[in-house]
Amino acid sequence: MRFIALITILLMGGLLFYGLPDFPDWGDPASPASTHVSPYYIEHGAADTHAPNIVTAVLADYRGYDTMFETAVIFSAGLACFFLLRTFRQKSAETKLYRHIPTGVTLRIEKGGKTPAGSEEFEPIDSHWVPYDMIINMTCRLIVPFVQLFALYVIAHGHYSPGGGFQGGVIFGAAIILFAISHDLRSVFRRLQEKTAILLSAAGVLIYAGTGVLCLILGGNFLDYSRLAGLLGVDAVMARSHGILIVEIGVGLAVMAVMVMLYYNLSSAGRHDEGL
Amino acid sequence: MSLLDIIATAMIALGLFFFLGGAIGILRFPDFYSRLHPAGKLDTMGQFTALSGIALYLLNDLSLGSVLTALKILLIVVFVFITSPTATHAIVDAGVRAGMTPWTKETREEGRR
Repeated sequence: MRFIALITILLMGGLLFYGLPDFPDWGDPASPASTHVSPYYIEHGAADTHAPNIVTAVLADYRGYDTMFETAVIFSAGLACFFLLRTFRQKSAETKLYRHIPTGVTLRIEKGGKTPAGSEEFEPIDSHWVPYDMIINMTCRLIVPFVQLFALYVIAHGHYSPGGGFQGGVIFGAAIILFAISHDLRSVFRRLQEKTAILLSAAGVLIYAGTGVLCLILGGNFLDYSRLAGLLGVDAVMARSHGILIVEIGVGLAVMAVMVMLYYNLSSAGRHDEGL
Repeated sequence: MSLLDIIATAMIALGLFFFLGGAIGILRFPDFYSRLHPAGKLDTMGQFTALSGIALYLLNDLSLGSVLTALKILLIVVFVFITSPTATHAIVDAGVRAGMTPWTKETREEGRR
């Protein structure tokens, strides 16, 4: 059986290599893509979509389908990580540690002892809990808002400079991960729950696909943003520019939430205890 | 060549000098902690002077665009100035927690690997 599989793979690989010479050379100016498609984007990009950054215009407008399914791929990567790693069964440890929040005293409760669960004054901590470092803690508190602001700038400024939904979403996710590293997973869960992260990642894909469906309803093709002109109160070219921004926001939301979900599950091996 | 050009060039050269010192220090110092010393200090100082020099150079033609770019460079300087020493601190902290002993005269002979 393995022999047949090997033969099949070798045959397929040979076939791919056989077809390789028929491709145009790398960066060949006479290739079909460079003679028809690229000149059109370069000449009409700014006039069609009001976005001076051609990359953004191609990514989110001309080839919107491609980007929509890229977002869906990222969403399914987040889901795959969730289904593979997340464990809901709590392994009850022999001894449990609780911290008395006002005084900082740590209680060690042996198996069978009475735990102060549900009390406001105690919080459970893990045995491999790492003590806080004030310097790192404060610096991250100082930096995180600026990183988040920069992420929003990268998403919103994608029309004019390098950037867009994917990059901005990754930066936003990194800000939250930085907070998680400098504090712990529990304090991040108080700000962004796992459920919220999953909902946000699904909402991002929904915004993208929903914009496409809205264009269909308004009588255009799928993801033909110029049909949104009446809804947004601008002309057709500006509507394409706004449409790009809307789908970029969707992409940013999905990427941010998936980054955070990946960190939650990978750093604690799916247990969502205090982790790092 | 204006006065601004000369100052900017001198600052960039000074920054490169700091970077060179940092690189030599990372390669030549004996152990983990002492290597972090040039990595943290000289890189921070190097980027501070070099990027400030670039920001000064941009102010040669005084327009809104160049001032904005210079401001953005200064923002980078400020944030690296805050985060780079913190990162060094975190790495040293991790080393202490992992149980690395600092290099001393006594451990010099056995540490030579």
